[in-house]
Amino acid sequence: MRFTVRNLTKSYDGKEVLKGINFTFEEGRIYGLLGRNGAGKTTFFNCINRDIKVDSGQFLIEDNGQSREIISTDVGYVLSTPTVPEFLTGREFLKFFIDINEKSITDIKTPDEYFDFVSIGEDDRDKLLKDYSHGMKNKMQMLINIIAKPNILLLDEPLTSLDVVVAEEMKQLLRSLKSGRITIFSTHILDLAIDLCDEIVLLSHGELESVEKNYADDKAFRETIIEALTEENNE
Amino acid sequence: MSNAEIRKTLVTSFALKNTYRVNTILYSLKQIPLIKRLFPAKIYGVPELKIFANILSVMWEISSVFLWKLLYFVTLVCGVGAVYTQLPSEGVFLHVILFLTVIGFIINTHLFNPTMDKYYAIVLLRMDAKQYTLTDYFYRLARDAVGFVTMTVIFGSINKVPLWICFIIPFSVAGGKIFCSAITLLDYEKRGKAYNENKLSKFVWIAVLILLAITYGLPALGYLIPKIAAMALLVAFIPLGLLGLKRVVTFHNYKEVNREILSQMLLQLDNAKEISKKSVEKIISKDTKISSSKKGFEYLNDLFIKRHRKILWKSTKFQALVLLILAVAAVISVSVIPELRADADYDKIISNMPYFVFIMYAINRGTGFTKALFMNCDHSLLTYSFFKKPDHILRLFAIRLREIIKVNLLPAAVLGGGLSAVFFLIGGTGKIFECALVFLSVVSLSVFFSVHYLTLYYLLQPYNPSTEIKSGTYSIIQFVTYLISFVMIYVKLPILVFGILCVAFCLIYCAVACALVYRFAPKTFRIRG
Repeated sequence: MRFTVRNLTKSYDGKEVLKGINFTFEEGRIYGLLGRNGAGKTTFFNCINRDIKVDSGQFLIEDNGQSREIISTDVGYVLSTPTVPEFLTGREFLKFFIDINEKSITDIKTPDEYFDFVSIGEDDRDKLLKDYSHGMKNKMQMLINIIAKPNILLLDEPLTSLDVVVAEEMKQLLRSLKSGRITIFSTHILDLAIDLCDEIVLLSHGELESVEKNYADDKAFRETIIEALTEENNE
Repeated sequence: MSNAEIRKTLVTSFALKNTYRVNTILYSLKQIPLIKRLFPAKIYGVPELKIFANILSVMWEISSVFLWKLLYFVTLVCGVGAVYTQLPSEGVFLHVILFLTVIGFIINTHLFNPTMDKYYAIVLLRMDAKQYTLTDYFYRLARDAVGFVTMTVIFGSINKVPLWICFIIPFSVAGGKIFCSAITLLDYEKRGKAYNENKLSKFVWIAVLILLAITYGLPALGYLIPKIAAMALLVAFIPLGLLGLKRVVTFHNYKEVNREILSQMLLQLDNAKEISKKSVEKIISKDTKISSSKKGFEYLNDLFIKRHRKILWKSTKFQALVLLILAVAAVISVSVIPELRADADYDKIISNMPYFVFIMYAINRGTGFTKALFMNCDHSLLTYSFFKKPDHILRLFAIRLREIIKVNLLPAAVLGGGLSAVFFLIGGTGKIFECALVFLSVVSLSVFFSVHYLTLYYLLQPYNPSTEIKSGTYSIIQFVTYLISFVMIYVKLPILVFGILCVAFCLIYCAVACALVYRFAPKTFRIRG
């Protein structure tokens, strides 16, 4: 499976944020999306998730030689600030999600199996989500986004505000989930991107550009990225 | 402080105030529906618009000197004063103005009022705190005096107060304020705790309430402070002010005082946001027995309704109970007291039915429902793509519409039933069709408001992720809804016209609203960026 973004443009108040993005993402890989503040990373995600109208462009999934436009169930989007419906318990939210999507979820598991998968403790499963900690809300949001096994998983700054234990759990989770789908996550932390990602993609000048990952020389690789991102500022 | 320093501080603080006032005006222009499209994205850099906003800003600075004082005199001094018809107007004027002025010494000091102006100037721009505070203080006192003297002369003459005292009052106000501030500063030097006029202690509140009771309560009982005493006190404030002036001018710790009260202000602002979010979260019932046997969206809705009982069913059931008691009391009174029926002018009373537009507006739970929907449910679910599928949005809309109509219908049915029963008893069997119309019109109004609020919510979705209302159109429509409902209080219509109009309007509105939601909501029901 491949996910292709073709000629994506998006402007705000006359300012072109995305200037004709052309890029193909491959199945089974984790992509780290890097860019300066205001480069348009969130805009890019919002365009893929159809949260905002694009000015032009196509999002295509190619599978077994067949190409089609993406639909909403293709995409899972995990936000940096986790949002969960406060008035439901974790279990109720899970049940609701499975009810709504039962046709599209293959091999439905029991709620407890799902909770075990993201390490949400038994005591917390029947608590109202408003009383969940930040890390637990994050896990819950992640869980909901992966149950339906979306082809594309977008994560906006997913690990930044988590404590070290939860962050490590989430990293493991992402690695275990990468096969069979395309994972793209945006981050400002270069170390995290290098550690977790198979490929680094830079968003600068409103365009996407892949950076060759040089395993032999980590330092040179970092310098290449910093240099590429700094250029934008010097223009 | 030299004259040049004062002038410079005055000019800088004006320029600062003007800058953000101009930006506020330009920002507001960008919020007005339709008109906002006429302005460019970089509105803050267009010289012509800046000049226009500057003119407005200066006009506001000048006119506000008089407008607030005019409002103060029309309402608090003469407006309430006119109630005491038995007492001499001159005495009432002096009594009210004296005690209100004293209350002003405590709660309107200028010196201990943490404002954004002060925050920008002292904290962010690091202007000299003493220079800024004093310049700003005396400027405000001068503005007050100009506004006051205009109004005391006008309203004093109307109330036959001697002209000389009208000219004295503005100086008394300034004098008293300076004297009280001097004492407060003295207290700061002793205790090291700054007074914040927006964060009053329990004792100050009690003092203010006692003074208010003296201001308005004594005249109601027929007592006034003797005219001569009032005038003597007003005159005495002037030398007291001169006495306090020295301390105010020589006080050195304005920086510390301001920092303390300004940090309290910022904390209050932060807390207000947090409290507003928490208060909606608090509504969610903690009852662990709540569960649902339904499925999918019905399941979601069922749990939402059950966990928000407090603002939905519990509240409408209470309304219905009160209305039921009133209705039963009215029906019994009209049945057992024949005079009530005989004396009542049926046509005249029933022509007041438009009044119930306002009542139905007031008891509708629609706004509370949509607010809780957003804050506790949709603001999070709208970030999940499965929730935003067009058919899912519409299915949930239909469920929620059914639910909110049901919630509002209970008190409406009781009210409608009670009213038609009373009208039937007064009007007799000949009026049965009209009585049915009364019931139908009340029910229609209830359905209309339910549909109205939910439709607005789905079409305009006014909230941003921080749960602030960000849609100018939404706020304007809310206001217009209130205004029209309010105006209906004064409208009188024959029941045949009103009833048929109500039912027809409700049917047409519901049809149009639902058509609009089905057509546009999949696109408009989004979190605002």
